[in-house]
Amino acid sequence: MANAFGIDVSALQAFQQAIAVTSNNVANASTPGYDEETIELSAAAPQNDGAGLNVGAGVVVDGITRAYSQTAANQLSSSQSGLGSINALQSYASQIDNLFGTNAGGLTTALQNYYSAWSTVADDPSSSASREALLGAAQALASNLNTTGGQIGQLASSINTGIGSDVQQINSIATSIASLNQQIVAASAAGTGQDPNELLDQRDQLVSNLSSLVGVTTSTNSDGSLNVFIGTGQPLVLENSTTTLSTIANPFNASQLEVSSSTSNGHSISNLLTSGDLGGLLAARTQVVNPALNQLGQVATAVAVTANTQQGEGLDLDGKLGSPLFSIAPPLATASSANQGNATLTVSLANVGALSADDYQLSYAGGAYTLTDTTTGATVALTGAGSAANPLTGAGLSIVVSGAPAAGDQFLIQPTAQAAGSFGVALTDPNGIAAAGALTTSAADTNTGSGAIGAASVVDAANPNLLATTTIEFTSPTTYSVNGAGSFAYTSGGTISQNGWQVSITGTPAVGDAFTVAGNANGTGDNTNALAAANEESQGVLGNGATSIGNAVSGLVTAIGSQTQQINTAQSAQTALNTQAQSAVQSVSGVDLDTEAANLVQWQQAYQASAQAFTIANSLFTFMIDSINGTYT
Amino acid sequence: MRITTGAEQSQFLAAIDQLEASISQTQQQLSSGQAFTTAAQNPVAAGLVSNYDQVLAQSQQYTANGDSAQSSLNTEDSALTQVQSALQSLRDLAVQANAGSVNQQNLGALATEAGQIQQTLLSLANTQDGSGNYIFAGFDTQTAPFALTATGSTYGGDQGQRQVQIGAAQTVIVGDNGDLVFNQIKNGNGSFTVTPAAANTGSGLVGATSITSPGAYAGGSYSIEFTSPTAYQVLNAGNTVIATGTYTSGQAISFDGVQVTLSGTPATGDSFAIAPSTNQSLFASVQGLVTTLQQAASAAPSQVSLSNSISAAIDNIDQALTHVQTVQASVGARLNTITTQQSVATSQQTQLQQNISGLQSLDYASAITSLDQQNTTLSAALQAYSLTQGLSLFKYL
Repeated sequence: MANAFGIDVSALQAFQQAIAVTSNNVANASTPGYDEETIELSAAAPQNDGAGLNVGAGVVVDGITRAYSQTAANQLSSSQSGLGSINALQSYASQIDNLFGTNAGGLTTALQNYYSAWSTVADDPSSSASREALLGAAQALASNLNTTGGQIGQLASSINTGIGSDVQQINSIATSIASLNQQIVAASAAGTGQDPNELLDQRDQLVSNLSSLVGVTTSTNSDGSLNVFIGTGQPLVLENSTTTLSTIANPFNASQLEVSSSTSNGHSISNLLTSGDLGGLLAARTQVVNPALNQLGQVATAVAVTANTQQGEGLDLDGKLGSPLFSIAPPLATASSANQGNATLTVSLANVGALSADDYQLSYAGGAYTLTDTTTGATVALTGAGSAANPLTGAGLSIVVSGAPAAGDQFLIQPTAQAAGSFGVALTDPNGIAAAGALTTSAADTNTGSGAIGAASVVDAANPNLLATTTIEFTSPTTYSVNGAGSFAYTSGGTISQNGWQVSITGTPAVGDAFTVAGNANGTGDNTNALAAANEESQGVLGNGATSIGNAVSGLVTAIGSQTQQINTAQSAQTALNTQAQSAVQSVSGVDLDTEAANLVQWQQAYQASAQAFTIANSLFTFMIDSINGTYT
Repeated sequence: MRITTGAEQSQFLAAIDQLEASISQTQQQLSSGQAFTTAAQNPVAAGLVSNYDQVLAQSQQYTANGDSAQSSLNTEDSALTQVQSALQSLRDLAVQANAGSVNQQNLGALATEAGQIQQTLLSLANTQDGSGNYIFAGFDTQTAPFALTATGSTYGGDQGQRQVQIGAAQTVIVGDNGDLVFNQIKNGNGSFTVTPAAANTGSGLVGATSITSPGAYAGGSYSIEFTSPTAYQVLNAGNTVIATGTYTSGQAISFDGVQVTLSGTPATGDSFAIAPSTNQSLFASVQGLVTTLQQAASAAPSQVSLSNSISAAIDNIDQALTHVQTVQASVGARLNTITTQQSVATSQQTQLQQNISGLQSLDYASAITSLDQQNTTLSAALQAYSLTQGLSLFKYL
């Protein structure tokens, strides 16, 4: 009889606990990271009743376990890292995409207006109204490039802010994990044999949060503590000690933050962090933001260089060779802060056709320089020695090294990064627009032959004698003299070069026929140069003459659009993957209220049954006592 | 798979988010009327639209350039028409003066009239366009190119010819410089000139001159000398006799591709020089006529000399007329080119606008249909949510 009481009491206690566990599940149904808990019951060891029969001794609560799958958790954390990374990347890509829209942020229109303004000047080169309009269009173009460049710059600085806050959060999570490790080890060692489920849930939730910030791998120690590694295996938490992350300035570019850790000796570990929000931010900078700025800068450079070159080949209203229309910052060259030597670089643009939108790294080792394209990783052919007389030349750049480099020194060269932001209109005087060609050609009225002279084209605008008057006189139908000297063979259509220009004469000149090439003094009605400037938009400039400025802008729009589209697609895929991983975790560890309701009913009924059994045992016991006392009726 | 309460909620929310995002995009399409507003929504089309936009803007600029060129060329065309009519008046006047029935006083009046026409021609050569630019000055458009001198004119402009872009690969010359229009005119008959020697005593008159066939005349200088009133010999530049003949008044004398008709009665020893044509400014030709008339009005020369001078002047004026007509014809051809180009450009622009619209414009029917579909899906999802939310075992306890 006493046995029955013991059984009933064990059952009542067990079912009370079971109801408590179920209630706890219901209470935490919406708690993030909570894993459904199950009470583990088993039958108590039977007791011998003395008659050789083993009668059960009731129910024993073995423990409360949480529904947890390491595989599902690992999958979730890796998909969270991927999602964190692609979300950060997508956020910047879509901002750039919105900024550029379908007309490169208004650049298409600004460029069209600018080139149309040149065309209007060509229609009436002496009109000061059309010249003013051209300066206005040039200014609008500059503002557009400055604004877009500035907005991209803001994205770059918001990436810095993001990296800073990610690093802070990672550090704080790492500290919490380390302290939970301590508590878990202590709780497990207390000898209850029970897992500290809630602490484990909290730690798992922290790892999951961490995984959306940075890629995480974990390993569990025998004492229950967890080691956390980030990136390619850099330890973040080892039992209860943590590695602290910090931000440092990029050795080449102080305005660009990189991630460093307390164990990396002040070196950047950015390149090891490829996933999570942090990895996404770093990728957004190198894959989306900086390339967009560089590509915009490439277009800006091409516009400025071609316009300035054209200006230099023509005459303004004052009869002088045109001065530059646009000002633009030269390629940026920065020595690494780790350099041992004192060398500095002066980089200038040598050939706009060979200019790319990539950045380059110049390394000095073994007495030789190597130029590497940081985007493609390819080595670029270099010629020259680096002196002012014989500069290093490669990738369309001309590099002069001053000071002495030490072996291992590195320099970052950003040919176009500053171009869009620094693009400005240098010319303020509308009369300074060089609409006229520099040279005028004429045939003497006394000529009797059929020779005709074409327009002269400027080959070298820097030639000091460019505008000097030159007379080409035919000494025979097949020979000519230049300024009365020399005798040169004439072929119809052949090129005659002199003083930085070239010209061709066609037809059959007679002896004594004379042609003159002279500075285009008073050529206020000439539009030769304006005509050429108006056509620059569709002339092949970039890509060694294969890509026009107009095509480069369309290409920019398409490139940014396809990149964003690709990232959007990857984001959808990663989101689906993450949803799946979440479902997998939920399916293992989540609380299902219907199940809990059923369990609750089950435990309630079991409890009621046990209580009923207790009542029966009690009444049997009372009956027996009454019988003995003779009070039984 | 076990579906838990939390999973059900988050799956529902994710689905609603996605539906609302697509509804928002369709709404944006409908309110902007564009199929895509950022390049990422259709990178290839965005690049093409950007290209088409550029080509369209260029084409529109070419049309504007063409309009400007048309107006310049029209100004030139009308100036050239007036030049021709002035030259025609001058020619009529010269013919009148050469009629032989005019007295000295009338010659004076004709000289004055010729002088007035000369002034008209000068002002035409110094025509300015609406912006005050001299249209016949080449590139030097700010100063009047022509000024009269005692023997003709000076030209202060240059030989520049302004071009205007009217198509992607097409430029048109919008101005002809004054040197080309007024100075580069061959004198005589365009190939050679025949000048009676000043010392001639007979009454030999120079009549029609021509070359027998194109290319036959090599451009040499000759002299026709009368060895008697009925016999002539032709000497070349080296004073070698290359032809001799019997002179009959009004009958052509031919040699080396040259054909000269002399009439009247030349005296022995009279000579006529034949020289290749050179460029002579229109104003020099006009001045020649004015001077001849003025001299004739003050001191009566022999009728033969006057007649020869006037004939030569008429020849030169004819040359000038032909030359100006040629220039005007080329102006007309250029105007035609522009008109053709403009109509090509107009249809090209229409095509480009269609292309852009085809790529970028929203297909409202399909957008509205998809909005409707998305709405239906969203309300179905919401309905499903409220239904499943009612399904909880706790409700039945």
